[in-house]
Amino acid sequence: MKERRLDSAVWRPRRVKLLKTLGLYAVLVCAALVVLFPVVWMLLTAFKQPGHEFDPEIIPRSPTLQNFRRVFAEFGFLRYFGNSTIVAVAAGVLATLIATLAAYAFSFKSFVLKNKIFAVLVASMMVPGLMYVVPQFAIVQKLGWMNTYRAMIVPHLANVFGLFLLKQYMDTVPRSLVDAAKIDGANDFQIYGRIIVPLALPVIATLFLLTFQFHWSNFLWQLIVTNKESLYTVPVGLAMFKQAHEELYTLKMAASAVSIVPISVIFVLAQRYFIEGMTRGAVKE
Amino acid sequence: MKKLVVLLCAVSLLACGGCAREKAKQGVVLTVWETYNTEERALFLSLVQEFQQANPGIAVEAVSIPFDGLEPKILTALATNTAPDIGRVDVGFLPKVAIRGALMALDQYGVEAAKPNLRPVALSSCMIEGRTYGLPDQVNGLCLFYNKEMFAKAGLDPAKPPATWEEFVACARKLTDKQAGVYGFGMRNSLWWSLPFIYSFGGDILTRDKKCALADDGSVAGFQFKADLYSKYGIEGGAWRAGGVRDDMGFQSRKYAMVFNGPWAVKGLEQGGIDFGVALVPSGPAGYATNVGGNNLVVFSTCKHPAEASRFLMFLTSKEAQARWANELGQIPVNMLAEDLIDFTKHPYLKTFMEQMKYAKPRPQTGSYPEIENALNPEMQAALDGKKSVKEAMESGCKLVTEILGEEEDLEASLKR
Repeated sequence: MKERRLDSAVWRPRRVKLLKTLGLYAVLVCAALVVLFPVVWMLLTAFKQPGHEFDPEIIPRSPTLQNFRRVFAEFGFLRYFGNSTIVAVAAGVLATLIATLAAYAFSFKSFVLKNKIFAVLVASMMVPGLMYVVPQFAIVQKLGWMNTYRAMIVPHLANVFGLFLLKQYMDTVPRSLVDAAKIDGANDFQIYGRIIVPLALPVIATLFLLTFQFHWSNFLWQLIVTNKESLYTVPVGLAMFKQAHEELYTLKMAASAVSIVPISVIFVLAQRYFIEGMTRGAVKE
Repeated sequence: MKKLVVLLCAVSLLACGGCAREKAKQGVVLTVWETYNTEERALFLSLVQEFQQANPGIAVEAVSIPFDGLEPKILTALATNTAPDIGRVDVGFLPKVAIRGALMALDQYGVEAAKPNLRPVALSSCMIEGRTYGLPDQVNGLCLFYNKEMFAKAGLDPAKPPATWEEFVACARKLTDKQAGVYGFGMRNSLWWSLPFIYSFGGDILTRDKKCALADDGSVAGFQFKADLYSKYGIEGGAWRAGGVRDDMGFQSRKYAMVFNGPWAVKGLEQGGIDFGVALVPSGPAGYATNVGGNNLVVFSTCKHPAEASRFLMFLTSKEAQARWANELGQIPVNMLAEDLIDFTKHPYLKTFMEQMKYAKPRPQTGSYPEIENALNPEMQAALDGKKSVKEAMESGCKLVTEILGEEEDLEASLKR
């Protein structure tokens, strides 16, 4: 009797711990289900026969690949993917490059009104992006850039958020490191290329991913600067599946399923950098 | 999105005017922004071919725009004077751009000759203050779709759909089996989808002198009946609720035996293997009625070749072209002469659709219809939910509508000055 009580007293904390863990896992599983459901639904719907997207069964009864075939053969998605890739890669690379150069200048160089200019730039982040649409459109149109890749890429190259993110990070780089390089005779581009960029690589990778993703999924701007189907990007192409009265769900989901592939691949490959980058610069030491 | 549209509207006001467009090609090139679906587009392009052959020197360049992307795109284009020559716009959107001076009145370009043969309810959506701001492209209204198989199973005659609202309720009661999750009816909440109820009870959106009529007796009775279908009679499956099974999907999955729908739904239902029939929306105290939807083809005021553009629009609304829309795609022809050329054996429902359009009532030609709809929908939702009485909801909705109409009037007055 006595022993038994002792026994249960020993077990209790473990059992509580087990229960806690189980509870935690239950919550996590629920959360994962909520997050994954739309993705799984998209993938399953992509394999369903048209007209059967809302049938009660979850697993398609007679799975088909025809949605994927039609998306590429009839709806020209190969072209849209090509366009999206050109725009997102070019914009991602250029915007990141410009942001790193600007952040270097703001972090390591001194020039007239530096802090005031930086404050104005950061303040511009407070203006809702939609406010820029009409003026930017007017400029692009006056430049005669309508229906070009330039129109889709150039207006978003100045990325103040990226500048801010990188400058805050670069501010944490010890000045003595830069001074040592200077003593060894390194010029600004050498310091930038050999010291700062390698150090800031996680943040740079994060910024590239964010800008790539922004351009990959940007709809409104790409829609209004293109009047040619041959220049449509994936989001605009996806919108074509919603018609006046019907939405071609199976085709839309097939195209969406393919459209998340590049982002997923990049994310998986760069995941380490991505997570690291988001927390870098969070604390200034 | 709404903010954007308001913003773009404001800018477009400042900038509507003449436009300089370079035309590299020889002859006249007409750019068309269209929002057709895949099969419609194929037919449209074949009609374009035909037109170009018959009219050498006029080239038509069609650009397909996502249906939901058209309005922001047009408003941005208007703000910068880069609108195309021709656009395909929703009937509810036309007055908004017309009143702001962005559309060209086509009366002086010979459209008069085409007008007598066009379905009046479709043509009326292009007319503002006696001027013709486009020609109809497509017209439709809601009808009652019913599942014949479910009718037979409930002991009802599949050849006899309900003709009055009383019959409708009796019918739906027999079709409803709450245990099995099956309901006689599935409905959608929004002003447009409520119009068949409101009209058939003698209600309207605006009175003749442009005051809100939604809190008047007829409108309240009509919407009260709609709300009762769910709360009092229990024959409606809650399709309008957040998280409910939407009407068309529930009809597809045999959860709702009857729904409102239009010609566009036929193909999908046939594909889904549903044995369905189409009937007129049941009649109420004010007789048969339905709403009007569709699209119009308009010429923007920056178009440099309005005569050619008008000729193209008249070609598209011609008897022959419209017969193709009907025969190939089962759509209601906007040209009434085309009815003689229709093969009804191929499109058995088309007769009902056309019959229903005789009882269709166009929406008021106000530039603020989309805003009116947005103001009313939450009020109607509250009434359906039982959070407000129908009368209360319609009255507070009307207050908002009066404000919207006031703003619209001020705007129109300032534009005229």
